[in-house]
Amino acid sequence: MVDRTEAKMTDSKSIVPAADRKTLVEEGTQFKGSLSSSCPIVVRGRIEGDVVAPSLTIAASGAVHGKVKVDDLRSQGEIAGEFDADLVQLSGSVKDNTIVRAKSLEVKLAPANGKLQVVFGDCTLEVGEQTLASDTGASRLEDGVKEIVAPPSGKNKGSKGTTPPVPSTGETGAA
Amino acid sequence: MPDFTPDALIAKVKKGDKIDRADLRGIELPRANLEGASLRRCDLEGAVLEGVVFARANLKSASLREAYLVSADLREANLENADLEGANLEKANLAGANLSRANLEGTNLIGANLTGALLTHAQLDTASLGGADLSGATLTHADLAECYLGGAKFRKADVSNANFSLANIEEADFTEATLSDARFLEVQARAARFTRASMVKTDFSKANLNGADFTNADARRMNLTGAKIEGAKFTGAKLGGVVGTGLAADGAKADWVDTSDLGDGSKRVLEAQVSALLSGLGLTSPPPNRGSKRYFGPGDVLRNATLEFPEGASIEIESLFEQCSIALGAGTELVVGAGGVLQGCQIKGKGSVTIHGKFIERESPGMVGITQLVVSSGGSLVGAVKQAEEATRFAFEPGCKLKMRIMKHG
Repeated sequence: MVDRTEAKMTDSKSIVPAADRKTLVEEGTQFKGSLSSSCPIVVRGRIEGDVVAPSLTIAASGAVHGKVKVDDLRSQGEIAGEFDADLVQLSGSVKDNTIVRAKSLEVKLAPANGKLQVVFGDCTLEVGEQTLASDTGASRLEDGVKEIVAPPSGKNKGSKGTTPPVPSTGETGAA
Repeated sequence: MPDFTPDALIAKVKKGDKIDRADLRGIELPRANLEGASLRRCDLEGAVLEGVVFARANLKSASLREAYLVSADLREANLENADLEGANLEKANLAGANLSRANLEGTNLIGANLTGALLTHAQLDTASLGGADLSGATLTHADLAECYLGGAKFRKADVSNANFSLANIEEADFTEATLSDARFLEVQARAARFTRASMVKTDFSKANLNGADFTNADARRMNLTGAKIEGAKFTGAKLGGVVGTGLAADGAKADWVDTSDLGDGSKRVLEAQVSALLSGLGLTSPPPNRGSKRYFGPGDVLRNATLEFPEGASIEIESLFEQCSIALGAGTELVVGAGGVLQGCQIKGKGSVTIHGKFIERESPGMVGITQLVVSSGGSLVGAVKQAEEATRFAFEPGCKLKMRIMKHG
């Protein structure tokens, strides 16, 4: 079941400030369907479906499979599907065919011989301010080149405005 | 005897009367609603005020010494210059309160909400603030000497010029806080977080910083004399002009740090030499068994080249590479500097790649079989990465730009 935590469960008189309210999907709970909340959502169990909320925190025991739109996504568990967020912090695992779109993504480096911070399956990451503004689809990678690469200098006129693969100019060596 | 009975006081507040300068010592008003009351310079010493609502109340220069204010609502209250010495404010809500120049010596603020509070020049020495939330608070020039601050949150707080000497800040969170010129002498700061904090000239002399996290912090001219930094993390930190520990610092962890004076990334030190930098015992030469170093400087352009780097080599690129194929031997470290652009290139092999500049693939996948990929806060990557057999280790810093596909090995 989905629980709305309101401070100490033993104190019926206490009123939890709105800022402290969270929607909790506890370990052992499986939720299927659409979930829309104005409170932060914490998932220790499993959600399959669409999620809309200000923030989504997925614990190491948690899993979310579906289409997610949140401001803030922090996952230590398993994610699969399509995730749109402003800020994303990832550890845990990202399953095949997953798309993560974010203004900011943080993945910390795992120790050299330690467990991986994130195990990535076949997935797509679209990160940066321009990502959420641009339209969807396969054109993104091509758009990205135009957005990210500084305009070439005069030497590279042939490649101006084009996307990779850039036609070879035949020039060699250089420098 | 107090000047007013509790009922008389509540009635006067309801009428909007000012109660300034009244003698209210020992008065018992648990859970009373005194929102917006004016109690300037009142003497509330020893008062029982558990759960009282003092939101937006004016308590400027009031005495609340030894008062019992557990779970009190003091949101946006004016407590400027108030005397709260020895008061119990456990779990009190002081969000947005003005506590500038207040005396909070020895106060119990465990679990209190002080988000956005103003505490400039406040006296908090020996106070208990374990688990308190001071996110966004202003504590410039505050005195927090010998405080207990375990697990306290100071995210985006301003503690510049504050004194935390001999305090316990274990597991406290100073993410994105400003700590410039603050003194943390002999603090216990095990596992404290300073990620992305601005901490120029912060003094951590003789501090215990074991396991602390300084990732991406601006810690230029920080003083680490005599500090313990076993297991502390420094990847991406700006450490220009840092004063080293003077002790062996082999346990510190960092893939690279910025050692430029301006913190602009123009000088970097890689993993192998970070310990020497942090110890202050001088940078050493790379170990003799390491491969050779290659540097491609700004202004150079390399096109249609095939480059092979042998096992253990270290390569830094600040140039423009176009249509190049790069093969990395095992253990190779390739760093694309902030000015480096790899356009239409492909990287293959069991090396690690760090991107502070730009990488755009030619043929997909643009990277094949690399063991580690780091894209720093200023880095951009467009392309696909086919992971190594044992799975590639990834790190992405906030601020990086990515349009990438990650593909499993095979």
